[in-house]
Amino acid sequence: MRNAIEVIRETDRKEVRRYLGYYGKKADAAIEEQIGFCLEEMCTAAEPGAVFRRCGLILHDDGRIRITALPEDRVQGTLMETASKSLARNLQGCCGAYLMAVTLGQGPDLVVRRAAVLSPGKMVICQAAGAAMAEAWCDEVNREIREEASRLGFACRPRFSPGYGDLPLTLQKDFETALEMKKEIGISLTDSLLMVPTKSVTAIIGLTREDTDCDIQGCNSCSSAEGCSYRRT
Amino acid sequence: MNLLDKLGKEWLFCDGGMGTILQAKGLAGGELPETWNLKRPQDILDLHCAYLEAGADIFNTNTFGANALKYPHDLEEIVRSAVRLAKEARVRTGREDAFIALDIGPTGKLLEPMGDLPFERAVELFGEVVRYGASEGADLILIETMSDGYEAKAAVLAAKENCSLPVLVTTIFDSRGKLLTGGTVDSTVAMLEGLKADALGVNCGLGPEQMLPIVKRLTETASVPVIVNPNAGLPRSENGRTVYDVGPEEFSDWMVKLAALGIQVAGGCCGTTPEHIRRTIEKVSKLPFKRPVPKKRTIVTSFSRAVEIGLKPVIIGERINPTGKKKFKEALRRKDIEYILSEGLRQEDAGAHILDVNVGLPEIDEPEMMESVVTKLQSVTDLPLQIDTSDPAAMERGMRLYNGKPMVNSVNGKRESIEAVMPLVAKYGGVLVGLALDEEGIPGTAEGRIRVAEKIYAAAEEYGIPREDIVIDGLAMTISSDTGSAATTLETLRRIRDDFGGHTILGVSNISFGLPRREIINSHFLTMAMTQGLSCAIINPGNEAMMQSYRAFLALQDMDENCMGYIEAYAGTSAPAPSGQSAPSAAPAGKTAGEGAMGLSESIERGMTGSAEAATRGALKDRDPMDIINEDLIPALDRVGQGFEKGTVFLPQLLMSAEAAKAAFEVIKESMAGTAREVKGRIILATVRGDIHDIGKNIVKVMLENYGYDIIDLGKDVAPETIVETAIREDIRLVGLSALMTTTVVSMEETIKLLREKKPDTLVVVGGAVMTQEYADAIGADCYAKDAMASVRYADSVFGA
Repeated sequence: MRNAIEVIRETDRKEVRRYLGYYGKKADAAIEEQIGFCLEEMCTAAEPGAVFRRCGLILHDDGRIRITALPEDRVQGTLMETASKSLARNLQGCCGAYLMAVTLGQGPDLVVRRAAVLSPGKMVICQAAGAAMAEAWCDEVNREIREEASRLGFACRPRFSPGYGDLPLTLQKDFETALEMKKEIGISLTDSLLMVPTKSVTAIIGLTREDTDCDIQGCNSCSSAEGCSYRRT
Repeated sequence: MNLLDKLGKEWLFCDGGMGTILQAKGLAGGELPETWNLKRPQDILDLHCAYLEAGADIFNTNTFGANALKYPHDLEEIVRSAVRLAKEARVRTGREDAFIALDIGPTGKLLEPMGDLPFERAVELFGEVVRYGASEGADLILIETMSDGYEAKAAVLAAKENCSLPVLVTTIFDSRGKLLTGGTVDSTVAMLEGLKADALGVNCGLGPEQMLPIVKRLTETASVPVIVNPNAGLPRSENGRTVYDVGPEEFSDWMVKLAALGIQVAGGCCGTTPEHIRRTIEKVSKLPFKRPVPKKRTIVTSFSRAVEIGLKPVIIGERINPTGKKKFKEALRRKDIEYILSEGLRQEDAGAHILDVNVGLPEIDEPEMMESVVTKLQSVTDLPLQIDTSDPAAMERGMRLYNGKPMVNSVNGKRESIEAVMPLVAKYGGVLVGLALDEEGIPGTAEGRIRVAEKIYAAAEEYGIPREDIVIDGLAMTISSDTGSAATTLETLRRIRDDFGGHTILGVSNISFGLPRREIINSHFLTMAMTQGLSCAIINPGNEAMMQSYRAFLALQDMDENCMGYIEAYAGTSAPAPSGQSAPSAAPAGKTAGEGAMGLSESIERGMTGSAEAATRGALKDRDPMDIINEDLIPALDRVGQGFEKGTVFLPQLLMSAEAAKAAFEVIKESMAGTAREVKGRIILATVRGDIHDIGKNIVKVMLENYGYDIIDLGKDVAPETIVETAIREDIRLVGLSALMTTTVVSMEETIKLLREKKPDTLVVVGGAVMTQEYADAIGADCYAKDAMASVRYADSVFGA
């Protein structure tokens, strides 16, 4: 895997602007300059972490989805179970899955909280920069998973996170246990199932025996998304 | 036999992995290991026996994850049975000499303010386990695998408050030598020693090899015995399964290397087995034992940073203090924490190393305010804080909730003061400022002040506070009433340094009270004081003259490597023109560069704070303040707002403009001193219960403030009752509620319901990422605001502005 800091340093400014609502439009020079400062400050503060594991997957006829430990794992059992229809669609035809969690660490949250005190304008730009950085880091970890999967003869579906479609946030608790998120990379959950640090992402990646991976950026960037039956809603 | 008779005096060995072995015995995923105390006691017993037979002196009860969050119903039975099993193992193996450690691991929750577990709740959770374990017969408390120093602090306090057993603490450092929450070895050691842990160290996370640099630093900084319990190497993924593959032979060889660094207690963690421990004991117990050596360093810390006093003078920012500051007093009365936080951050940017926190005002609840300011400051700055108060209750609250080892201001030579303050410092840890005055008043001679200092040192010793944790305030008194007073103060500093090897502190600017151009005297006095050994200067780091003295002193005293600090501060700058004006504010150079001379309207539209301020100052010379507001400021803000509504201006631009307008308002307000700007109305803003997102709310706040509204900001995760009570007490006509998640829209609905019931004439505007007009209608809100401008428009319609 590439160095995490290098990855987030290459975060696309276009993505930052997108999170700020510019949707392809140019920001003026002063804002562009601020975006540069904020990206730099957020990158310097970041301590990215990632954890993932390959799991078994059982798709029941009644629509329930069960993700389990692999037979060779030290601890056996079910890791998570859900009846989410959106996830079922994403995982249709899959024979395994990866669970992943990534975070930018606590540093960026501190930068955002400081900005909130001194400058709300800077705060929203830092937020957007953080979101774009987290996505960039997710993509990189996802690529690493694809490589490992392809060595094992699998192709990957686009990643799917709690909160997409009808996949409930309650699954975060299962991610927490299955990946030992707190111990491994310092992600904690609040009672309302929010992750701290806030710039953190969890996702499920389906494995198939098909020939090709789906587009890593997800369905919105995929040229074959039109009419694709696995399409993420 | 008491553990303390042996700890630090001879080799002691801990047991090894428990969870990994239980997993090998068939513990299922999601199954809580502690349930085996009741379900499979024989397996637990066998495991204890194996470690005792291997020679472990200290062995852990199977209670790592036992707390009321995970065992709401049968915690007591789980903990008591764990201790009973340990006692039985001791009998079975004939190892009556071994010590039973009540094992305490993290709660799994993150503490406030980053997470949602209140500090006192954590203390309660740990306290409950301690009470059961101690009364069942544990010999010591072992707090381990702590990745958050704050949670470790809660656990130590719980142990100390609920039993009198020895308390040992090990934390989990990563390969960079940091806790997950950013703490370093130095900061962690200082905090835990301040809390009077009997031994401390490191466990889990890494193998013995990777722990080497961390253990080295531990032995260099700790004055109490050091414990080292590594994993059997780094966990490695093999075909998707986690393995630890450092065997007993290799492990014990590494432990010999670690032991040679001067540790006192050795054992193992994940992946280690009785065999790892047996081989370690065989090899390490043959090595010469080194007792821990007191390091005598003076250290204050935040959650992540340690500042050592005595190496070179440190700057303590004095601005968080209401004395003589009208605006600050007003902020305290209004509970405007944001303002206080911004004072802190500005001082940090200007170069402060520690921030003094004084929030004393007769008419406010000082303990509550101290708690609130300390906790919130610690969520935005990693500078250590100095808790500055004469109210012992506020002092205790601040010290208890503080994340780290604080500086404490102050005690003096009076018996009453010593008896109120020193027990707190003895309990919570801290570097204590001792004022050189007592019942007889302020001694007029250095000799007299030294006598008081000696009294304070002696009292500290009685209370078990190490001498290095005392910093003497030599008392700067104005030379305008006694021209000999500076000489007395300087002599006091010199003697504390030379005769006692002690450290000193001064509120520097008191020296010039009553004189004109005070900073001339202050900055020279600062230099003189540092030359006489001043360790801590309480000053305003935003005052450039003071910082010039400080930086010049460091450069001249060879305390600024290659003069880099000096060069960084002053390269490319030029001296301000000599005039009657004081030095310009300490805004970082370059921040306003390139903005040029721009009109006020344009400055606001382009979001240029610096030039908006300058333009306002210029305009004030020949125009009426109200005209500037009505003709330039508001119209510019409106243009940006309309642009935002049309989609030609984006959120960052809108906010930058709002900030520039706010800065311009501030300048105008100063010039109008007394004649307050007309307030259009008062509005409560809050993010509802369960939701910790406050970005949207903060944006709305800035916009509303700019449009002349007085905002009561209740913060995030606010209970419906709090909102309703405030609305009633302050007779509020409009409440703005924010929710980011679908799950918390329920709280929003609850809040509205309660408001309708208790204060029906109050209107409610709602917003937030998940909010829609339909949602807003469904929960009975009066208005759905899709963005900040919509909130402003609605407020204007409500207040008829």
